[in-house]
Order: sequence, then structure tokens, then C-alpha cells
Amino acid sequence: MDADADVPMEDVSDERQLQQSYDDAASHHSYQQSYSLKNKELSKSNINQLDDWIEKLGKCEPLSENEVKTLCDMAIEVLQYEQNVQPVSVPVTICGDVHGQFHDLMELFKIGGPCPDTNYLFMGDYVDRGYYSVETVSYLVCMKVRFPNRITILRGNHESRQITQVYGFYDECLRKYGSATVWKLFTDLFDYFPITALVDNKIFCLHGGLSPMIETIDQVRELNRIQEVPHEGPMCDLLWSDPDDRGGWGISPRGAGFTFGQDISEQFNHTNDLSLIARAHQLAMEGYSWWHQEAVVTIFSAPNYCYRCGNQAAIMEVDEQHARQFLQYDPSVRPGEPTVTRKTPDYFL
Amino acid sequence: MLSPRQRQDKNVRATDLDALSCRSSANRKGYFNPPDVYIDELIISYNKHLQFCSGYTNLSASRTLRSVFNEQKFPLINRGTYLRTKVLYDLVSSFCKEFAACQIISLGGGSDTKSFQWLENIESVRVIEIDFVESVKIKKLAILNSPKLSKVVGQTSDESVIISSHQSFESLDPEFHADRYHLIGCDLREIKEKSVSDNLYKCIDTSLPTLVLSECVLCYLSPEENKMILNNFSEAFLNKAYLSFLIYEPMSLNDTFGTTMTNNLSNRGLNLYTFDHLPDLTSRYKFMHDECCIPNVKLTDMSTVAGYEGIKEGFKPWIDDADLLRINKLELVDEIEEIKLLFRHYCLCYAELPYGDKHFRSLEAYHWRI
Repeated sequence: MDADADVPMEDVSDERQLQQSYDDAASHHSYQQSYSLKNKELSKSNINQLDDWIEKLGKCEPLSENEVKTLCDMAIEVLQYEQNVQPVSVPVTICGDVHGQFHDLMELFKIGGPCPDTNYLFMGDYVDRGYYSVETVSYLVCMKVRFPNRITILRGNHESRQITQVYGFYDECLRKYGSATVWKLFTDLFDYFPITALVDNKIFCLHGGLSPMIETIDQVRELNRIQEVPHEGPMCDLLWSDPDDRGGWGISPRGAGFTFGQDISEQFNHTNDLSLIARAHQLAMEGYSWWHQEAVVTIFSAPNYCYRCGNQAAIMEVDEQHARQFLQYDPSVRPGEPTVTRKTPDYFL
Repeated sequence: MLSPRQRQDKNVRATDLDALSCRSSANRKGYFNPPDVYIDELIISYNKHLQFCSGYTNLSASRTLRSVFNEQKFPLINRGTYLRTKVLYDLVSSFCKEFAACQIISLGGGSDTKSFQWLENIESVRVIEIDFVESVKIKKLAILNSPKLSKVVGQTSDESVIISSHQSFESLDPEFHADRYHLIGCDLREIKEKSVSDNLYKCIDTSLPTLVLSECVLCYLSPEENKMILNNFSEAFLNKAYLSFLIYEPMSLNDTFGTTMTNNLSNRGLNLYTFDHLPDLTSRYKFMHDECCIPNVKLTDMSTVAGYEGIKEGFKPWIDDADLLRINKLELVDEIEEIKLLFRHYCLCYAELPYGDKHFRSLEAYHWRI
């Protein structure tokens, strides 16, 4: 039993210690080991089952309701022990919004290299808008359970009960399963997703942006994240905020979170000894965009977002030396998905 | 079988349903204040009569209606629908206020309900709606069978009209005439033909200051046809009365969003002829001013109108803060970049041919990009 290995994960002071010694190669190694132990919990039959599911989902075929139930139970076992600020080591490939564009997610793995050969960090928004939210989120959660040390999946503002009822995931679950059970299973699971990650103590990764109530990363560690995304407050802001040209804090046109200026980003990076804030949440026509003199980067990984926007997608590779490289890609040709049967996205006609 | 042109026309007419379903969705979500009470009356008519239009059967009509009306619209579509409706309604209302006795000619109005609201709220206005024969018939049947609509157009009748076959729909006279309201079925591409023109101008009063409204209509025609139609009106009003055009249309901006829109719409059989030929505000200005010889042309895009862009450059939004605040509260909007992108690709154009010293003065109160 590896309960001892899990204890430090939940204990803030030990966790900080672990953070501080993170650069230390030996400690780093032991950290990895503790998680490998966790991974060993997966029995041979679990692994086989997960591999079967991954193969099935890889063909864009959804799991059955019972399979989703089992998967979500397994995922909670893994995700509940992850931290609010989940430590991640380099090399890692950082990805932004996917939004149910399953075929483009497969393209992403082609461009970035297959998981687990490549380590991945996804910054949320797996569901809604695209036509394959169910397959997309099932696939990523399967990968997470199968390779917990190789892939990190953060929570986006769409991983919420309220937003998915407006933007499509709820309707898609009803359509594909005939009931809201799968939607309930996944949205309950979303509560366990970590909300931020820290790559080698230098790159702070999260879905939205900063919060006027959060000055230090330690303050993120103190939040109780296992809940529905609140309408306001620090956890909401981390998932909803956007960088802006205007300095200081501003009211967000989205109705949740804030806008933050360069002064705020620089101060946050300085206080926390960071080199970069990597976030997603906003469409970027080239797939990524720099903000605040490279204090912040937006990464967006849904090409031709909503089948309407005509944008490129991108992912950001960070290597062992912390060198960054952006890989851009266009929408995948969708085999077996004839465009004529696909509903045309809405325009004003 | 439908010919390619008939099929294209059918697809263009089907955009009436898109527009209607968008307005219906925005209305249900509480965007319109006060709510639009006429939308449902039109939906009833489409539900009853679409099946009798050419190219439809009972089955395909109900499938079409189901797929259009049953799907939940995203907040950005609701918001864009509201802004478009509100901005055009307000601008035309202020035109009517300034000119008092005046006339609105609505091209391709199909399922639009703004005409009914102008009739209801503005005493001195005459409204003429021109559209494809079948679209006009559905609207006429909506009016004849709805006490609400008959009342607002000022012509009530005790008898409802029951259409139960393609033949009876086919033989229905498309025209409807009331004191202040006329519904005319014609193909605008044939406006130069004498019979079409005579029929049209017998309802149009060329002595009244007139605004011609075109929402997503001329975009489906070639630039030559556009010019021909605009010139036809200009000539009819020349030396007789003030005339202006108010046009709302998509434009490609020659970017990847525009290309995607071209592809998506051509997938459902819609060709946007002016889309690439007149890709941006500058080319549209040249077209209206230089080619169509309209002296005063104003242009802007919907993102600027709604205040999503242009505030830093000094362009004031057309929607007041209180109203923006109200609609912001209706739905959480997680699509700000997409809204900007989408709205930027819709232009609003006001082009006027002054008559004597008659000129739409309130126009200056609105901020235009050109």
C-alpha cells in the first residue's frame, strides 16, 4: 500500500518542502517514484481494460455508460491526490482548449508525438462547442488514468455543470446516451481536476488567468478546489480571467473573472520567481499569442474553432533546458466524417 | 426536380428560417424588451405551410423545421441577433421620427417581424415588403390567420384561410394590401421587367421620403444585380423624393474566417456573391459611392456598433450602457473573441440620395467607421 506516498501530497507544508527541493535531481527522482508506486495500483486487468478503451475511443467510438462509470471512479482515485498546483517536470508539451474537436485532438498527438512518449499538460476546456465532447474527454481521462505521470489535465471553465448546459456537452450526452447520467458522472469528476500546474517551478499553467485575491502560488495551494466552479472568488478567477492591454485589474466582458494588465503579470511572476504564465481560454488566430512582453502566453489547441473561426491551433513544447517551441497545425481532415452531413455552424443569415 | 437556380433560391429562402429561429431563441431568452409578440405567429405559419413550398414534402418540411427550431442557439448568436435587430430597428425608427410621413421598403423581409412593430409604433409610416413569392405567401397566410397580425396591419377578417395542398398554395395570390402595409411577391433579379416593375411601383409611393432596408439579401446576388436593383430604386425616386438604403450584410475581410464562412455556407448550397467581390468596408464604400453613384455613404461593422472594438479609436457603441448591462446579465458569454471575430464580418451601410435639402440629420449621432 502506498498510503505513505500519498500523505505528502495532501499536506501543505510537506508539499512546499517537496516544491523547494524539486530542482534537486534526487528528490525529483523520488517524487516520480512515489507516483510510479501509485501507478502500480493499476492491475494488469485494469491496464488491459484501459488500453481497450483507449483503442475504442481512438476510433471516436464512445464508451458505454457503465464503462464511463468505472473510468470516472478510477480517475477520481488518481485525481483526488493531485494538488491544486500540480508539479510537472520538463520536458512537457503544453496544450490549450480542445473543445470536443476529437479529430483535431488526434492531430495534436500526431504533431506533438504520442502519449506516453511525449509528456502532456492540457490546460482545460475539453468539452462543449465541438461535436465530440464525450469522446474527447473520455479519451483524455483514460490517458490520465493509464499514464498518470505522463499527462496532466487541468480544469477549464467549461469543466463545470453550469457552462456545459449552455454550450453543448449536456445536450451531447443526452443525444449519445439517452440520459444525463454520463454528464453527471463527468461533471462530478471535473470537481477533482487540478486547477493549476507548475512546470519545474518556472512556468505557471492554468486555464484562465490571475486573480486579485491571489498574490502567491501558495495561496492557490490553500484553496478548496473540490467543488463546482464558483461564480466568483479566486478559483473562479483562475479559470475565467484574461490578460489585457490595459494595466491593473479590469471588469471582464465575460461576466466572470477579471482582466489583468502587464503590471499585474510582472508582479506575479516576480513574486513567485516565475519565467512565464501559460494559459489557454482565448481564441488565438495563430494558435498562440504572447502577452505582456512575453510574461504571459495564450495557447489555443482547437483549429478552426467551432468549425467557424478559421484559426490555426498550437501547442508549446518545453524541453529539458526550458527552451520553448510552438508547433502550429490546421484542422485535421476528418476521415469518416463527411462535411456535408455536418451541420453548418450558425451565422446571421 | 429543381433546377440548380431553383435549388439555390430554395436555399436562400431557407435562410428565413435561420433568421426566424434566431429571433425566436433570443426572444425566449429575454433579449427583446418588450418581447416580440409576432415571432410565434410566423412560426405557426411556417409550421403549417412550409410543406407546400416547392422542393418540400410534409416529411422534409417537418425535418427542416425541427432541426432549425429545436436546437439551442449559443449566446453569441442570441446576442448578435439582438444587436442586429435592435440597431436596425432603432435606426429606422429614428428615420421615421425625423421624416414623419415616410415609407420603408423591406427587401427579402421574409420572416422578419420589425415591419409589424413599425406599423404598431409609428403612425405615419407605410411599409412595403418584397420577397420571393413563396416567402410572401407564408407571411400573408400568417397575417390572415392571426388576429394579432391582422390587427397590426389594419385589416381584420373573420375568415381564416386554410391551405391544404401544394395546389392550393400554388394558386394563392401572394399579394396582400392594406392601408399602410403592402406585401409583394417578386424576384428582385427581374425588377427591370416591365410587369414586375409596374406591379412593384403601383404600391410604392415615390413622393414619400423612403428607406430601403436590405438584411442579408443582396449578398446572395451578384454585384451587377446589386447595382441594377439599387439603381432601379434610385431612378424611380430621382427628383421626386429622398431615398436611402440601409444594408446589413456579411463580408469576407479576405481572412481565414471569411474563407471558412464561404466553405461552410457553400456546403449548404449558399453562394455569397458579394462576399469576396466586396470584402471590406473600403471596397463597399467604393461600390456604393463610385459605382452606384450614391453621394452620401456611411459604413461600419457590427463589432464596432456593439462596442466590442473601436472604443479606443473613439467610436461610440450604438447600444447604451444600461442595455448592454441588461443583456450581459441574460447569459454567461464565454465567446468574447469569437463574438468580435463574427461581428467584425458583418457590415452596416447607410447610403442616401438627398432630395433638395432633405437629409437624414440624426445619422450624425451614430458613429460610423467610414
